[in-house]
Amino acid sequence: MNSLNLILCAVAAAALDVCILILIITAYCEKRSSKKKWHTVSQDMELVEQNRIYELGCDEVLIGRHASADIRLPDMSVSRYHAILTVAEGVWTIRDIGSKSGVYVNGNLIRESALHENDEIKLGNRRLVFRKRRSERVR
Amino acid sequence: MYANPVAYIFSCLFVLIAHSAMLVNIWFNGNYSETKDIAVLGAAVIILDIAYFVIILFFKQSSYVLDFLLILVLNMSMIFQSCFGKVGFDKKHFITCIVCLAACKGSYILCKNHKLLQKNKKFIYAAIGVILLIMLLFTNAENMWLEIGPLSIQPSEFLKPLFVLACATSIADQQHKHKVLMFNVVYDNLVVFGIMAAICLVQVKSHDYGSLPTFVSIYAVGFLLRICYPKAKFSKKKLIAGIIAGIVCLCIALKYAPDYVQHRLHVDIWSDKTGDGYQQSQALIAIANGGWFGVGPGKGFLVNVFAHENDIVFATVSEEWGLFFSLMMILTIIVITAVPLINPARSYYHGTMSACISAAFIVQMALNIFGSCNLIPFTGVTVPFISEGGSSLMVCGIMVGMLIAAQSPVFKEPKQTKQEEPVPAWRWQE
Amino acid sequence: MKSIKRTQRIITLIILLFAAGMALLVLKILHESSFYMMNSDKRELGYVYDRKGDVLFDGTGQGQYPDNYFIDCGNIIGDDKGQMDNTLVAQNLEKLNNYGFSEGLRHSGGKAAIYTTLNHAANRAVYDSYGYMHGCVAAYNYKTGEMLVCTSLPSLDVTKGYDNLNQFEDATLMSKTLYGTVPGSTQKVSTVISALEIMGSSQLFSKSYTCYGKYTNRTGNDIDCHNIYGHGTQNIQEAFENSCNPFFAQLVEDDDLPLDKLKKQYEKMGYVLNGGKPQYIDINGIQCATASTTLEDKYQFKTQWGCIGQGDTLVSPIQLMMWESAIANGTGKMTMPYFIDHVTDLNGKIKEKAKTRYSDKIFSEETASTVKQIMLTNGADRYSYLINGYTVGVKSGTAQVEEGAKENSLLVGFVDDPSLPVAFCILIENKASGSLTTEQVAQVLLDNLKNNY
Repeated sequence: MNSLNLILCAVAAAALDVCILILIITAYCEKRSSKKKWHTVSQDMELVEQNRIYELGCDEVLIGRHASADIRLPDMSVSRYHAILTVAEGVWTIRDIGSKSGVYVNGNLIRESALHENDEIKLGNRRLVFRKRRSERVR
Repeated sequence: MYANPVAYIFSCLFVLIAHSAMLVNIWFNGNYSETKDIAVLGAAVIILDIAYFVIILFFKQSSYVLDFLLILVLNMSMIFQSCFGKVGFDKKHFITCIVCLAACKGSYILCKNHKLLQKNKKFIYAAIGVILLIMLLFTNAENMWLEIGPLSIQPSEFLKPLFVLACATSIADQQHKHKVLMFNVVYDNLVVFGIMAAICLVQVKSHDYGSLPTFVSIYAVGFLLRICYPKAKFSKKKLIAGIIAGIVCLCIALKYAPDYVQHRLHVDIWSDKTGDGYQQSQALIAIANGGWFGVGPGKGFLVNVFAHENDIVFATVSEEWGLFFSLMMILTIIVITAVPLINPARSYYHGTMSACISAAFIVQMALNIFGSCNLIPFTGVTVPFISEGGSSLMVCGIMVGMLIAAQSPVFKEPKQTKQEEPVPAWRWQE
Repeated sequence: MKSIKRTQRIITLIILLFAAGMALLVLKILHESSFYMMNSDKRELGYVYDRKGDVLFDGTGQGQYPDNYFIDCGNIIGDDKGQMDNTLVAQNLEKLNNYGFSEGLRHSGGKAAIYTTLNHAANRAVYDSYGYMHGCVAAYNYKTGEMLVCTSLPSLDVTKGYDNLNQFEDATLMSKTLYGTVPGSTQKVSTVISALEIMGSSQLFSKSYTCYGKYTNRTGNDIDCHNIYGHGTQNIQEAFENSCNPFFAQLVEDDDLPLDKLKKQYEKMGYVLNGGKPQYIDINGIQCATASTTLEDKYQFKTQWGCIGQGDTLVSPIQLMMWESAIANGTGKMTMPYFIDHVTDLNGKIKEKAKTRYSDKIFSEETASTVKQIMLTNGADRYSYLINGYTVGVKSGTAQVEEGAKENSLLVGFVDDPSLPVAFCILIENKASGSLTTEQVAQVLLDNLKNNY
């Protein structure tokens, strides 16, 4: 095995390396574009509680006191698993999943309800606002 | 429309460059009698690349990176398989690769809508049942293959994607609790457990211990991602206790395992070089012979060993292309499983599915590579994408299709209630 | 989101586990690749050299050498044919292979070699001095542990192959230095060491026993002395010089030398007692037997006979030689011998440079210096005209083998000279078959080592 062959082997491996690198970069590009796509799918909404902002990053968002909940509200008035937010066809829906204190949307006790912009959700003692996502710069 | 045309073009270009570099390497280092052989192989690889690049544009996906990775690794395996022993176009493997690509796109279409899948979970269970039944009736310990005309199919392979689909779950599913005798029970979890048990029994009966770890790992991932929800009191302590209990059970099972299993677990390959340790010792010698940069495509001696193109394929590639290159090959497969880390799934169902698939791929790869290199007992499983074998390759395609589906999901309610014409609150009337 | 993050965390964990396994695998392959390669059919062996660069083994099989050029070290250096297992080459084939993971198997011009510490010229001279007699010689530098001479007769020239294997004499294919032999009176060195350890110097020197040519012990067995007229009353120094068996039998029977302490000291020195599991000293992969004897009841013939160095006692010459190093060093620690000074890989890069290692302390410094003095006095009194020009501490021995039918002659000792720190053990089998004496061999050995050091 002479040096030319060795170089060729190294080149083949390097080409593969570079290719993998490019594909990873592509994956990061697609991450941005698919995030954008998600924002159109999810109508670009978020939940806000006073100063905290909860991102709605996937199509099922569990709200509750338990550590495994996506949005964790550490408050004894909130059930372990209180409510679930789902999105379909761009419409967010909140559903009560067996909470003790109930889910109030704009003051009405509901079991399931579609959400609209600037709806106020009350879970136990906690109040959350469902609103359009604001870009970082505005804040 | 696809949002990253520049990334698309660069990806295409570099996949082609990677394959060309490998072909050039064969041209200079390979063992071939006629230049025609390389030309045919090169043409087939490049044409398949370009054709796939064009075809994927018709599937309006938001992410193509897994398609690129798939074609990269498939054509790599095409080149590897064609070079074993002597450079020559491996027609059979080429056809399987195309089947694999088709299976990938097919499963993407089926899986991109997770709501639809969840709604039709019954059919998935039924399909698993049918395959298990086929395995029980038509295969046995001597022959795990099902012969249909010229095709031979390994039904246990097809269980994997179906089992992944069964193990995947959504948060809403996990909140569907039923109270049975003071216990909160999620029916779905029980069904999955039952399927797991059935698969284990059938596998043990047909003495196919090799693919059992793959199923166990799929189930373990599915289980881990389920226990977070229905039983909120499932603490870490309980989990650790459970794992310890499992290990103890495993140890006991191993102690009382049948003789031929025991025998496989304790093979000193170097003192039994011509008997049971033959494949492994030859594989290790081949890796040592190859060194970092290999002896050159088609120049290895491991092709004379049985199952060089699937069970010990890592060593065969290592010998001919070098350990460095085969590590790169492994890296490519790892990147495939790591794509969900870069670009997360948008639904829990797809997330669990991705995790199960990653587990399946990596456990299978680990079993094969570490087994053939004598770190763990040798089992006859295949390296995903690289090993020859129709069923296994097709299933790999299906599973990558499922990963792609998790990357480019479609959010639609399964029930297409006809949307009524929106009635404006106020309409100007003439 | 948290739930999706959870799935990602599991994927990360699996990938990390796999990567760790993969790293382990690569390290294992890098580390063991030369071993794997030795198991293939293909190998390209290099050379084994002596300390001056003289070839001792030619793995290429292409060099031209005079007839019987390797015969003096044939059964210790060995070859790769598989006929001899306990040899330097057979145990270190991996180091001799011209293979590296990055470089692959080099078919020509590889520089993999083993540089041994042996002195080929001295080895050859010692071998030649035996003539038609059989036996073995081991000598090493007791300061560093370098084996200088290791020869065993009969021997073979490995270049001639094994076609007439069944015409070889017995024990041609093994180096006698590595295997147990009856030590004869050289065993008395161990007994003196043990007595000194247990009693202390002043008490031992105060003891004196009388020899009447033979001694009937308490169980009624006779211990014969080689001097049938007896040596009269002696102290330990005189008895050591006279090599008086009745004296040592009475010493063993003495109440100040309890048997359990004696056993403990013997075990400390490496003896395997009363049929225990044999132990080995590892010298560059070569297994060298240690000593074994029977110590059951101090009043019985068998035990006393064992302490005198006959009967069941077996000691390998290299072990005898190593005890000398503990005495000569004055530390009570044996210097561990080694054959391989360094190894070069296929690019000629030096690796595995040997280091001097010592055993655990097997007896105290005081004991070492007392025994050293006893042996040096013995050397000065009895051997100064037999071994000319060296200050030696020695002990001779005559071992009865094949139930007294043959007598082997042994000589163990050391040179008390910082410029020539050599400990040796010489064995001549069936001494009645020729006129060669161990002192003559020692003279040849030391002269050659001195001139070629």
